[in-house]
Amino acid sequence: MKIYRRPRTWAMVGILILALALMSGVMKWDTSKRDHSDWKQDLTQQTVSMQNQLGKSSDADPDQRKWWTEQIKLNQYYLDHDLNPNVMTPWSYVNTSASLIILVTILTVIIAADMIAAEFSWGTIKLLLVGPASRTKVMLAKYIATMIFALLLLLVSFVVTFGIGAVLEGFNGLSLPHLAVGADGVVHEGSMIVNSLQKYGYGVVSLLMYVTMAFMISAAFRSSSMAIAFSLLFMLVGNTLSGILSGYQWVKYLLFSNIDLTQYLEGAHPLRPEMTLGFSIGMLAAYYIVFQLIAWLLFTRRDVAA
Amino acid sequence: MAEAVLQLRNVTKTIGKRNIVDNLSFDIPAGEVFGFLGPNGAGKTTTIRMIVGLISMTKGEAIVKGVSVRQNFELAMTHIGAIVENPEMYKFLTGYQNLVHFARRHSGVTKARIDEVVKLLGLQNRIHEKVKRYSLGMRQRLGVAQAILHRPSLLILDEPTNGLDPAGIRELRDYLRKLTREEGLTVIVSSHLLSEMELMCDRVAIIQAGKLVDVRPLQGYKDEQGAKIVVEVGNLPAARELLAAVVGESKVSERGETLEVAADKSAIPELTRMLVGAGLEVYGIHAVQRSLEEQFLEITGGEMVV
Repeated sequence: MKIYRRPRTWAMVGILILALALMSGVMKWDTSKRDHSDWKQDLTQQTVSMQNQLGKSSDADPDQRKWWTEQIKLNQYYLDHDLNPNVMTPWSYVNTSASLIILVTILTVIIAADMIAAEFSWGTIKLLLVGPASRTKVMLAKYIATMIFALLLLLVSFVVTFGIGAVLEGFNGLSLPHLAVGADGVVHEGSMIVNSLQKYGYGVVSLLMYVTMAFMISAAFRSSSMAIAFSLLFMLVGNTLSGILSGYQWVKYLLFSNIDLTQYLEGAHPLRPEMTLGFSIGMLAAYYIVFQLIAWLLFTRRDVAA
Repeated sequence: MAEAVLQLRNVTKTIGKRNIVDNLSFDIPAGEVFGFLGPNGAGKTTTIRMIVGLISMTKGEAIVKGVSVRQNFELAMTHIGAIVENPEMYKFLTGYQNLVHFARRHSGVTKARIDEVVKLLGLQNRIHEKVKRYSLGMRQRLGVAQAILHRPSLLILDEPTNGLDPAGIRELRDYLRKLTREEGLTVIVSSHLLSEMELMCDRVAIIQAGKLVDVRPLQGYKDEQGAKIVVEVGNLPAARELLAAVVGESKVSERGETLEVAADKSAIPELTRMLVGAGLEVYGIHAVQRSLEEQFLEITGGEMVV
């Protein structure tokens, strides 16, 4: 109740929806400026140019060569099956919204940072802790409430972009498959839903880590403004920092080097060559446990004297 | 003495090298309004915070209805309702929503009970307004409402008259009396306002520098040392001479327009006969108890600073 009865919360949801609408609008406007009526010719031209590239630079970056080869196969598939890859479907909007998960993360971090700290600032912590619930229970309840809020925002994100996409593009193209080149070198048709969920999934991992970190800072500082400031600071600076330090071996032990799991996707480079997906997941799990432990210790063991 | 609803055993809080609460042990009987009295810094608030779990006890135990607060926090807290200093509520919620929020953590608090409590504290007209519009007196009452929702056996109020005007203080006193009568509650009040305590409490524990100095009942207490008779006469010097001759020079003293005789109430008829028999005009003669303030100052040696 405490989250949802504040006008601030609904303002956040409003901002999210506005941002999504804006993004979708821009997408639509952009594609309408380009003329795609001659897509078959476009595809054929693309294929030819890529084959030229492949032939010319045999010592080019192997990832780049792989990408060209895959694109050629995909283009061929499109031509064979008479599918226009430039058609916008509601899924196009949903997929792009996955990149707006950063916004969901920021909004949830603000709520998480306030969760414990605000109770101290308001003084209501005195009433909250003087009740038939152990401090551990209180903390757990707050954490779950924060996560439910994050889930709600993600749901809103997904549904709103789908809705906007449907409004702008109609419901055609819903059943269009998602095409990708599998490990066997053959083009596979997959489900668009699954693909969207996968993209959301990676965003959710970083969301989880940032929110848990914010929760811990909230328990540590007992001050709303400190908690929000530090959480956002780490979010914004952390990534840059690990990028700058990527020359050093030990950078792989930092949280921020591991938080973006999309670096392990096809065509992307991990921050340091020796890092793997398994390694990152392990690091993240370790950080998660440490964050929760620190938050728990600080919340349960300290006196409330003021 | 009725069975003890709260027992303190060797409760100690050490900070650095000082024991700010030092081996407090006493019992609080059921059905009374019990006061913690002491100068500022005596350790009253710290003791209360330790009883309700806001501050950890360095040593000792607090046992509520046979349940130790340290061993079985959640069960012990079902017997306690407390307000520590001013009750801070969530300002952006209404009084009613606040009560609902706090009612949820107890099993068995029904909507009917919430309404009952609201009526008991006289808040029914303003209960659906946001708390930020409440006066201090109303917030105080809302705090008490929150504390008694689950029908605790023990209500603990720390400095409840802070910031209240005389009308507010009077109201609070009346509510507390009503609660002890109608709900069978035991109330612990801590304060340094002696005059207030005198009017509110049945029994007080006097605490100074973290140590227990005394526990004594207030009403009907035979303060033998302090018993005095105040005599108002027409001719002071003559009366003084007469009385000094009977009870001894040291027991008679002048105070303003009256004489004070250190003697018990039973001596009044005798003294009256003597004065009248000597032809003196007697305007008034009555027994006085030492006020709580006088007793308190004498016990604590007039020291207000820890």
